[in-house]
Amino acid sequence: MIEFITSILAGGVLLSVTILFVSIGEVYNERAGVINLGLEAIITLGAFVGLWVTFETGDYILGTLAAIVSGAGVGLIHSLTCVKMRVNQLIAGLLILSLAAGLANFLYNIVLKKTVPIVTTLPSIYIPFLSDIPVLGEILFQHNAFVYLAYFLAIVFGLILYKTTLGLKIRAVGENPEACDAAGINVNLIRHLCDIFSGAMAGLAGAYLSLGYLGLYDSGIAGGRGWIAIIVVIFSRWSPYRAILGSLIFGLGYSVAANLIGGGYIPSNWNYLVLIMPYLVALVVIVLFRGTTKAPSALTVPYWRK
Amino acid sequence: MVKKYQNYLSYPIGLFLAILVFSVTLLLLGYDPISALVSIPTGAFGRPNSISETLIRFIPLLLTALAFLIALKARFMNLGVEGQLYIGGLLAYLIGARMEIVPSFIALPLIFIAGFMGGVLWLAIPLIMKTKLGINEIFPTVVMNFIAMFVIAWLTIGPLKDPNTFNPRTPFLPESTWLPLLDPKYRLHVGIFLVVIIALIIYIIMYKTTIGYKIRAVGQNPRASEHGGVNVTRVVITAGLLSGGIAGIAGVLEVFGVHHYLIRGFSPGFGFQGIAVAALGIFHPIGVIFAAFFFAVLQIGGESMQRGAGIPVDIIFIMVAVLVLTVLIVQKWMTTRKSS
Repeated sequence: MIEFITSILAGGVLLSVTILFVSIGEVYNERAGVINLGLEAIITLGAFVGLWVTFETGDYILGTLAAIVSGAGVGLIHSLTCVKMRVNQLIAGLLILSLAAGLANFLYNIVLKKTVPIVTTLPSIYIPFLSDIPVLGEILFQHNAFVYLAYFLAIVFGLILYKTTLGLKIRAVGENPEACDAAGINVNLIRHLCDIFSGAMAGLAGAYLSLGYLGLYDSGIAGGRGWIAIIVVIFSRWSPYRAILGSLIFGLGYSVAANLIGGGYIPSNWNYLVLIMPYLVALVVIVLFRGTTKAPSALTVPYWRK
Repeated sequence: MVKKYQNYLSYPIGLFLAILVFSVTLLLLGYDPISALVSIPTGAFGRPNSISETLIRFIPLLLTALAFLIALKARFMNLGVEGQLYIGGLLAYLIGARMEIVPSFIALPLIFIAGFMGGVLWLAIPLIMKTKLGINEIFPTVVMNFIAMFVIAWLTIGPLKDPNTFNPRTPFLPESTWLPLLDPKYRLHVGIFLVVIIALIIYIIMYKTTIGYKIRAVGQNPRASEHGGVNVTRVVITAGLLSGGIAGIAGVLEVFGVHHYLIRGFSPGFGFQGIAVAALGIFHPIGVIFAAFFFAVLQIGGESMQRGAGIPVDIIFIMVAVLVLTVLIVQKWMTTRKSS
């Protein structure tokens, strides 16, 4: 029983990572007033690019960087479309969805003609001493580099958002762009940067899925986590710190489902019913956390000097 | 004011860019872009059967686009068309499977009502959350998609599975409930007429009736409409229910017109593709008829290109995204350039 619970909790940490990476980026993006609905597909693209580059070069860092760059590139397309050209952000995001997923699957199918790209997943790093703690060590301190990185970045970007001038500017731009503009802040530059950053983080999340979690690519690899991450952003009330908690809740939801199925606790033709669980959790979260705090005032509203 | 023709100017520009991206990508990978490009219309129109397949693809693309746009007109972002399509198909299947001895002139209307209600039911939850609790509809509608997809997947390998096959599907529906074919040699069914009629009806509702006027007014400016005595909530509900119902009908047409059973993943993302179709058709019921047809041509032509030259059909989705993004950017640019 202890083993089963440990396995669920450790799995929860593993499965929270993708969601956490994406939601950190999207917190920044939405704080600045931009929402990108294409994140699900940017994860997919990042997963493919990361896997492919790592497969070709054998270098995980290079693969991860390539995934980040691909995500940032798609983020740039989104920001050019709706920050610069002021096309409806939501519609633009939905088209980005089709663009990035199309790109990932197209390239994968091209590569597939010659070879099947597979890598071994990154090895776990056992944190000295901490990983020896019974139960807790296994849950928290026996993971690969991506896992630690996600939690580290959540704290770093939390600090940047709340403790630096840049963070203040980002938050202000999403609340009152007119005042920021009057104060000499380049509103759209900050929005471009945040949109690109959010794409980059989704790319990184994809690299984790293919390099740190599965070791392969599949067109459904993102598995709804891009959407869940945007819901976590609301749940976290636009804070990278609370995004940790939100990601863990959903990570646990996925982990419970995975462990029930993997452990054979469920008749196999009922698997899909169990997979609904994280989404039911999402619905409940949406209802419970409605209106607990206000979204950034200028969210989805383009800015230009009238 | 932007003149109409300037809107149309965005299409050749978008098409040019899409073809450019297509050609450069293929050139870099060592394929012949000209022959690939030519193979698209040939694949979509070359033989009577390919024309039939193109029109079959046109049916769900048009309906999902209509479903998306009618809700959008009332400022309801229905991202759940995919799920509503699934549940519409499911409910219609449950009714249809019990219609063995019922004559089809009674069975078919019941099946369509069930499909419509299925879509409505699946949209009702986000709709209630929006109108009663003030929750933005985007995420509930998306979440409902995943739930619908898993429900269908569960049913088609579990309780409703046909035990005589390994495929994740149910037994065949009684033949009396299958939608009649136009020509027994091809798969094209009478749904093709139905969808065009639905598009025209929606055009009439939106532009020639009071309720359509109210929907558009709410979409333009909800606060002003409220002050003008329009019950905004009721208008959003009306538009939302029409939207969900049409999505459900799309499911009925796929199940009863094409597959004749319920199968896991019977929609390869039509709900999401409909959004791009709606955007390409400038969110106008008549515009989306042309846009849906164009998409169908690209998809069927692209699939034939994949079989022929071995170029993955996914490039079609890249092309479509480039096309629609460019169209939206150019149209926006022309509007803002004129007004400032």
